[in-house]
Amino acid sequence: MKYVFGIVLALLPLTGAAGADPASGLDPSVLTHPTADSWPTYNGDYSGRRFSSLTKINDQNVKSLSLAWMYQLSGATEGLGGRISATPLVVNGIMYFTVPDKVWAVDARTGRELWTYTWTSKGGIHLGNRGVGISGNSLFFETPDCNLVSLNLNDGKKKWNQAICDLDQLYYASVAPVVIKNHVITGVSGDDLDRPGYLEARDSETGKLQWHWSVVPKPGEPGAETWPNADAMEHGGGMTWISSTYDPELNMLFVGTGNPQPVIASKARAGSNLFTESIVALNADTGKLIWYFQPSPHDTHDWDAVQTPVLFDGEIDGKKHKLVAQASRNGWFFVLDRETGKNYVTSQFVKTNWAKGVDAKGQPVPNPAKEPQIAGALVSPNQGGAVNWPPPTFSPQTGLFYVNATRAFSIYYIFDDADKPEGWGGNDQGGWAESMLQALDYRTGAIKWSHRWETPGIRGGLLSTAGNLVFAGDPNSNLVALNAATGEVLWHANLGKPVTNGAITYELDARQYLVVGAGDKLFAFVMNQ
Amino acid sequence: MKITRLVILLLVCSTPWCAFGQAPGTQLPDAPNRETVQRLCSACHPAQIVVGRGMTREQWGSIVSNMISRGAKGSNEEFAQVVDYLAQNLPPVKGDPVPVTKAKAPRPQGLLDQAGSNDKQVVDEDAAALGKTLYTAQCITCHGTRARGSERGPDLVRSLTVLHDRYGSVLGPLLTKDHPNAKSFTLTSAEIVNLSHFLHQEVNNTLRTGPFNNVLNILVGDPREGKAYFNGPGKCNQCHSTTGDLAHIASKYDPPVLQLKVVFPQTAAFGRRSAVNASKPVTATVTTAAGESTTGVLEDIDDFNVSLRDKTGQYHSFQRGPGVKVEKHDPYAAHVALLDEYSDKDIHDVVAYLETFK
Repeated sequence: MKYVFGIVLALLPLTGAAGADPASGLDPSVLTHPTADSWPTYNGDYSGRRFSSLTKINDQNVKSLSLAWMYQLSGATEGLGGRISATPLVVNGIMYFTVPDKVWAVDARTGRELWTYTWTSKGGIHLGNRGVGISGNSLFFETPDCNLVSLNLNDGKKKWNQAICDLDQLYYASVAPVVIKNHVITGVSGDDLDRPGYLEARDSETGKLQWHWSVVPKPGEPGAETWPNADAMEHGGGMTWISSTYDPELNMLFVGTGNPQPVIASKARAGSNLFTESIVALNADTGKLIWYFQPSPHDTHDWDAVQTPVLFDGEIDGKKHKLVAQASRNGWFFVLDRETGKNYVTSQFVKTNWAKGVDAKGQPVPNPAKEPQIAGALVSPNQGGAVNWPPPTFSPQTGLFYVNATRAFSIYYIFDDADKPEGWGGNDQGGWAESMLQALDYRTGAIKWSHRWETPGIRGGLLSTAGNLVFAGDPNSNLVALNAATGEVLWHANLGKPVTNGAITYELDARQYLVVGAGDKLFAFVMNQ
Repeated sequence: MKITRLVILLLVCSTPWCAFGQAPGTQLPDAPNRETVQRLCSACHPAQIVVGRGMTREQWGSIVSNMISRGAKGSNEEFAQVVDYLAQNLPPVKGDPVPVTKAKAPRPQGLLDQAGSNDKQVVDEDAAALGKTLYTAQCITCHGTRARGSERGPDLVRSLTVLHDRYGSVLGPLLTKDHPNAKSFTLTSAEIVNLSHFLHQEVNNTLRTGPFNNVLNILVGDPREGKAYFNGPGKCNQCHSTTGDLAHIASKYDPPVLQLKVVFPQTAAFGRRSAVNASKPVTATVTTAAGESTTGVLEDIDDFNVSLRDKTGQYHSFQRGPGVKVEKHDPYAAHVALLDEYSDKDIHDVVAYLETFK
């Protein structure tokens, strides 16, 4: 356990520090050192670790965790859009969360509803909404019909809205915005009709565009050499589905980008298709690309590399480094130097069958035989991936990176054998899957422990705490607490529906709360006193 | 009446050219592009089938469009030549009725159908069919057989003009003013609306919710090698027999379905309930600390509880813990083990072999 002490906890929430003055909302500078009574960003802090330094709930007493309150969404919510896939934010004792087109503010101690806001939608896919961003007295969220909306934090009244994408081009918006200084970082969604993905920064006061980074290059720009022509680039995809992470010292933003388009039939986009399927570092003030690493060159399986780029400091070969790690949808785990993008670790966190090796940069090399075929190719993982959008967690205490993984097979087909396929041009069919919680040693990618769930299925994201705990959903609707070091199951509660977001934790009045969403309900647990 | 029969057959046929293959005519009229017609059309059916039929340019265009969507192969120029030839040499015969198209039953709407604006154009199938005829006659040469563009004209499926258009609102001004050939067009406003419906239909056809997202020919395997694998390394013959449970298997399932059944037989519906829904469910035996055993179909299992339904239909639920033993029996375990074993060629060969058992 020596290496634990070598880990610099630069972004650790400071337990016991004073919260922001309620009258002034949330001071953006506090976001670099979140207070223990808050969960002020999508990932709890900028690092994406989803690790809390709180210890009142721990491996010794978690068996006594009990329900404090439960909140059921008011108003009719149906289908996938009606599930809470947002990670709630907690600021000044109030919790804020969303489903598509709707925002709630509830008392974080009681679940009592304070206000709700409903956006009148003009369309878009209502698949899910990942939540809000907060700065000062403003709350920001994205709508399926391509708007960034700013609300007054205190009463939920709208301040402004700005269009961030074009519905006619079949974009939609679902990401939880991240606020960095006066930048609201927004991403876009949409995998239907060969549009370019991008990331934008908008002014937190006005919503005005500050910078725009296009995932796909234009002819002559770096990365253009990985596309056959201008038309393929212009329609090359790369959606920015998941919230970015941020290193305040480097002023770098870390972004995972989505799959290239056309999604499955790739005949007209030969090449590695940069900067789709990449982890990229951008200057947070300008949006300029600093470095990139591509987990899935020339993807043909819809394996977005958007999973949270998790930031932590650690030792590799005895030397301290600023690191960024991703457990990617394609089944591979990567640890990179976050100053340079240099690769330290490339490993499989579940067994896959689509790569024929690893290149000099540490990127998997796809096996052309496992690209979708007219007659079908048996591929693992399946389209859902070895992990999807639900967030992972990293504990600096154990040095382990946790991912709620799936090992799955399906058959990938080409439906459109034209020379210039468009849209998807194929898909996967059938399937078999098993699922397990994997704990990975970040220094090697080795699986330190694995807890296999009895069945596959939906099970949400993860949280780790300094109480030596990992909280995970299982496919049978249980919220499960495991010993972070050993994987031993310590506690569970059946929530009736599988966990649909990542659990959060915060401390108010010296009580540590644990809150998780399952379907249309939020459950808050505390330790009996 | 001939045309009516032809059109109705076209609408009801699921197999390309099933309408045509049965009534070959005499010789194609000798005229320019005859060779092109002969070559493109006879790839699937006797080209002479058109002889004796008569249609307008638009109607022939519609037929050719249909054939393209059914897999006819050729360049844009060649298809334009085919339409030219048919229109010039096989004009309407007096008294032939105008073809009638029927709207398809609407498909149930899903989450992905929410893509786009609530006020997106609702495609009128009849108008789109008329638009398609117009497109084939006037636009196909530059914009391509599937409106995806060519070296002579831009892609219209990805066109912002089309995506922003509603019932001709953007397309109309373009075609009457800004299009390079605007001066030569004589389009009525109704024709522009029809064209708009056709182009929006092409956009919809390109989406993953579109009607052309179907598995193509998967019968690429070698039946002999499939037989060798079936009786050899695949060990399929240890549980199955082509004269027993697999007799006439090819008459029961289309090849793509058969392939899925070979690889994923347990997947009635993908998900954790699939074990219960499968024709051969997973069973389990639970032995309590007291030594009592219960066997039944596994209803549900997690780290904490397990439930069964025994052969009398009685439901049993147990808390798991020290001393409680759970033994699962997955009838498809051998298929699961093969997922890491066989190659795609093995799968294709076995499917080709099983396809010989009609």
